[in-house]
Amino acid sequence: MKKTVKNILLTTAVLTAAFFICLALHSAFDSLALIPAIFVLAVLLVSFFTEGYVYGIVSSLISVLALNFAFTFPFFKFNFTIPENLVSAIIMIIVTLITGALTTKLKHQEAIKARSEKERMRSSLLRAVGHDLRTPLTTIYGSTSAILENYDSFSDEQKQRLLRGIKEDSEWLTHMVENLLSITRIDGGSVRLIKSPTALEELIDSVLQKFRKRFPDANVQIDLPDEFLSIPMDAILIEQVIVNLLENSVRHADGMTAVKLRVFTVDKKAVFEISDDGCGIPAERLKTIFTGYWDGITAPSDTKSNSGIGLSVCDAIIKAHGGEIKAENQKSGGALFRFALDFEEDEIEQ
Amino acid sequence: MSNNKYKILIVEDEENIRSFVTALLEASGYQVVCASSAKSGEMLFSSYLPELVILDLGLPDKDGMELLRYIRGTSSVPVIVLSARTDENDKVAALDMGANDYVTKPFGSAELVARVRSALRNFRRVSDSELSSGRFELGALTIDYPSRRVTVNEVEIKLTQTEYNIVALLSEHCGKVLTYSVIISAIWGYNDYNSIKKLQVNMANIRKKFGFSPGEKCFIENELGVGYRMSGS
Repeated sequence: MKKTVKNILLTTAVLTAAFFICLALHSAFDSLALIPAIFVLAVLLVSFFTEGYVYGIVSSLISVLALNFAFTFPFFKFNFTIPENLVSAIIMIIVTLITGALTTKLKHQEAIKARSEKERMRSSLLRAVGHDLRTPLTTIYGSTSAILENYDSFSDEQKQRLLRGIKEDSEWLTHMVENLLSITRIDGGSVRLIKSPTALEELIDSVLQKFRKRFPDANVQIDLPDEFLSIPMDAILIEQVIVNLLENSVRHADGMTAVKLRVFTVDKKAVFEISDDGCGIPAERLKTIFTGYWDGITAPSDTKSNSGIGLSVCDAIIKAHGGEIKAENQKSGGALFRFALDFEEDEIEQ
Repeated sequence: MSNNKYKILIVEDEENIRSFVTALLEASGYQVVCASSAKSGEMLFSSYLPELVILDLGLPDKDGMELLRYIRGTSSVPVIVLSARTDENDKVAALDMGANDYVTKPFGSAELVARVRSALRNFRRVSDSELSSGRFELGALTIDYPSRRVTVNEVEIKLTQTEYNIVALLSEHCGKVLTYSVIISAIWGYNDYNSIKKLQVNMANIRKKFGFSPGEKCFIENELGVGYRMSGS
């Protein structure tokens, strides 16, 4: 409904403007040569900036009428009996129709291109995920069948080792699936997030409980603002971003002794920083670190890292919250990830 | 001997999950009976009179919520719901319907056993004489209801009216997750958009007065996006 109104307004505005420009040109140069060109331009603009054929065709008809009415002899009177006028009207209609059809086709092709790009991303994601899932599944399937078939001949220690491997890989799978579910939940930002006011302290508490369950030995240092902060967000998704980033540090920052989670406020924004004192991020990876997984740059298959998809998910979640996530290397060495969320309540959004 | 064991009813349609949960609970000394559909769950519940129910929400014949409603119609035994991660709304709905706790799939053995243990212990605590005696004890925490005094390790914690009301409410439902909306309507009587923030601010003050920092175990656990629970385990 809103779109229709917008399209009609736009069409009217462009045609009116064209009409008055023609009037002005006519009185200034006393020549009619420019008039059809201006109207063709107007129709082109209309078909380009409105949706569908209709507005282009309607404006081409109006243009012909306007041309006939105001800018052909007899002036300010409709007259289709003069053959010259009739021919010019027909030519005008053909030209505008072709222009309209061409621009619509062009737009259509752009849409197809965008769709196939999305399709390409989706299939490369599926390929990468499928590949990634195979590794832990191999462990689980292989180890369990080995234990079942050799139950009596395996020593207790062997069985324990196999079982531990199974548990570890299942945990990895769980995490992977959570990330995938988050992606389907946002899916290109088309789905609206369920934002609710979340106390920062409770968010961090929940993050740490989760994280320490999986990495009990990791040294996480917390630095939070003293005042109470309530931030509108999809808490489950933001929790996952922070857990992903913490995990990323623990798994990939070689030589890391501590990871720091710091939150501070800069005019109505809560800035989250996750930094470590590890080896940092190789310069050539910095640029693609959030998108690499989609493009298949970070061959994830053999590393069993989860980082590729984890960081892509972080990026998607923060974007869906209207923010941006950035990665950099600190001067002191070690990686730093930063994102910000607005905590000013948007009164309309409730 | 087996008469002293707690009886647990598991309602879950996935055979593999049923079998490992059964093995786990039996190994922890519970007596277990299984149902694979809501209908047989309903029957077993009436005939077997379990002391705790583990309920999967996605059952083939009926919604698990209906079975929960049926159970709550006749009994207050602890119910632990198994839920998938993605739908907080389901969790909230199940808790509001009277479930005591939820465990998110996939879960580890330690987590499930801990929840079962704490649900049973807290149920006994609440149904026993403790509340009527006007005194609540949980580890180092004690609450004296008549005098509205809260102490930790014998040291009194000065709470405001509202803060005390929240702590007392949680203690009366110890072990159970209370959703934001349940707490808000119990404390303020009405529910609007700002009350959740009001609750969060009060909670932050309570935690501060108890001296807890994020990530540490606390008497009051925070279930992000769902609610709060007082728990000693």
